[in-house]
Amino acid sequence: MSKEHVVETDVLVIGGGLAGCFAAIKAKEQGVDVTLVDKGYVSKSGSSIWPHTYSVFNPEWGHKLDDWMDHINTGGEYLNNRVWTEIIFKESYARYQDLVSYGVEFRKDENGKLYRWKMAPQRACESLEFHIVAGERRAKSLILRKQALKSGVKIMDRIMITDLLQQDGRVIGVVGFSIDSGDLYIFKAKATVISAGAAAFKPSGWPISELTGDGMAMAYRANAELLGCEFIDTHNTWAENPAYGFPAIMRASPGRLLNAEGEELKLYPGRLRSYSLNVEFEAHAGRLPLIWEVDADSKVAGLKDRRLPVVGGSVGGMAVHTAEGIWPINTKCGTTLPGLYAAGDSCGTRQVCAVYSGVGFAFAGASVTGTRAGLSAAEYASQTEKPTIDEKDLARLKKVTLEPFERKGGFSPKWVIQVLQNILFPYYILYIKHGDRLKATLTLVEFLKDHLVPKLIAKDLHELRLAHETKNMVLNAEMRLRSSLFRTESRGCHYREDYPRRDDPNWLAWVKLKEEKGKMKLWKEPIPNEWWPDLSKPYEERYPVRFPGE
Amino acid sequence: MTIERIDNELCNGCGICVNSCPTDVIRMDKENKKAIIKYPDDCMLCLICVVDCPTKAITVTPEKTSPLMVSWG
Repeated sequence: MSKEHVVETDVLVIGGGLAGCFAAIKAKEQGVDVTLVDKGYVSKSGSSIWPHTYSVFNPEWGHKLDDWMDHINTGGEYLNNRVWTEIIFKESYARYQDLVSYGVEFRKDENGKLYRWKMAPQRACESLEFHIVAGERRAKSLILRKQALKSGVKIMDRIMITDLLQQDGRVIGVVGFSIDSGDLYIFKAKATVISAGAAAFKPSGWPISELTGDGMAMAYRANAELLGCEFIDTHNTWAENPAYGFPAIMRASPGRLLNAEGEELKLYPGRLRSYSLNVEFEAHAGRLPLIWEVDADSKVAGLKDRRLPVVGGSVGGMAVHTAEGIWPINTKCGTTLPGLYAAGDSCGTRQVCAVYSGVGFAFAGASVTGTRAGLSAAEYASQTEKPTIDEKDLARLKKVTLEPFERKGGFSPKWVIQVLQNILFPYYILYIKHGDRLKATLTLVEFLKDHLVPKLIAKDLHELRLAHETKNMVLNAEMRLRSSLFRTESRGCHYREDYPRRDDPNWLAWVKLKEEKGKMKLWKEPIPNEWWPDLSKPYEERYPVRFPGE
Repeated sequence: MTIERIDNELCNGCGICVNSCPTDVIRMDKENKKAIIKYPDDCMLCLICVVDCPTKAITVTPEKTSPLMVSWG
């Protein structure tokens, strides 16, 4: 380590994906100093490159709020936070207009009209029009970077943030290092926004290896409250070259999914269920491999074989968008820690929750929470004094940041990641769950946390980033296992073989967690009574999607 | 073999791919001023570098294999 830099700013935004860019731009527009920092390069980082759909709610297009809410309430199995769902719907059009004003182009049809895709014309969704507007994939995030720079945001790329600095509980900045120079960076900020994305485990089948739950982990270590780590997303991938599944599957649609016995699997039984657990249930029943059979009239370029083998669990433990995250204490994206705000997938708005029952919601949610977090952080920053850094706390975090570099012997991040993946990735741990298996896995993950993580070594700066990512992933693994054990029922994409049905009287609640005396403490946060489904209705009506045996 | 090759003849040393890679696989060779594949194990086959490279110098192939699991670190 060569130099040490101190950067002072009013608002610091950690993570430069879609939410982070919105937060930075909106905060800057309030006239405060804004610094946006990313461990990669803003415009290429996080998930910001991938979405090409944006869900816009607009009454002028004939959308009815009640219909949209009903779709999500039922799809999310009543655990979506309706306050947030409604906010995101209502503000999505304004954020869409922001994107247009920044220069993002949305797809038009041959008549020059906005291309709007009507989602799932079945049952309750009949009246819904989810307007999907597709832009050029990679251009959009680059445009947000340019807009941030144009607004006067200071962007600092390729700096890995390790931990939050605090003063009497208030978050007053962060510590990190440059992955190029190795210089140490201390950011002093009046307000901090975490928009560092979701947590996954460098999965085999989706290009999200940089989503290592850094934001969740640093918030946890600073004693923030988090939630919702039991709802794991179920994207699929291509079995032959799983790591290449994303481009392969994107090319392959549309088609139909067949199991090994040739039966067609209905992906959307009854109503639109984008990502429920059906592939995992087929795996458990021994009916793999699944085949994605591309429609015969498909004119997809470069497709040699119409029958693509498919496997599930490709995102390797990532949660349903915003089902998990840092607990927002209000609709301003504030957290339980003063001075800390959360946005995008780092903010547990529970916009859809138990199942991802939509398309384009994550992008809309990121732009809305990004905006709200940016505005709140700017407001807080303009009302508070410059913080003073506690030298003892700083010295401790500097040591933590550099430790893996200075240790003489121990375990390489590459190996610990491999061990963690081998423990977590089989479908029967985080998808088809059972209390016994969760407990056994938790024992192993705790061993990783207590014995391997404290001895991680890094031989260069690339590995120093990996070492911190590894530490964060292990912590996020523990959150998932404990939350999954805690929820003793099945719901959405959380399925417990030992509790195979929804349990409304006991589990219309969120699972929250925080650190207490060195342990992970979990508890229930009940949803408001008025959001309960009508319990006088039969179970089958409340839950149109069946679990095996139901 | 994930990211397989950066063609030295075609690479113009612009460094765009270094920033394109979300997982820090590519670095610049300071002496030759060319991009090199420094950490291929971390390639996640996202193809952003391939798309962004102005001279089409980068080859990525679909195969990714895991190293043998050994019992210590």
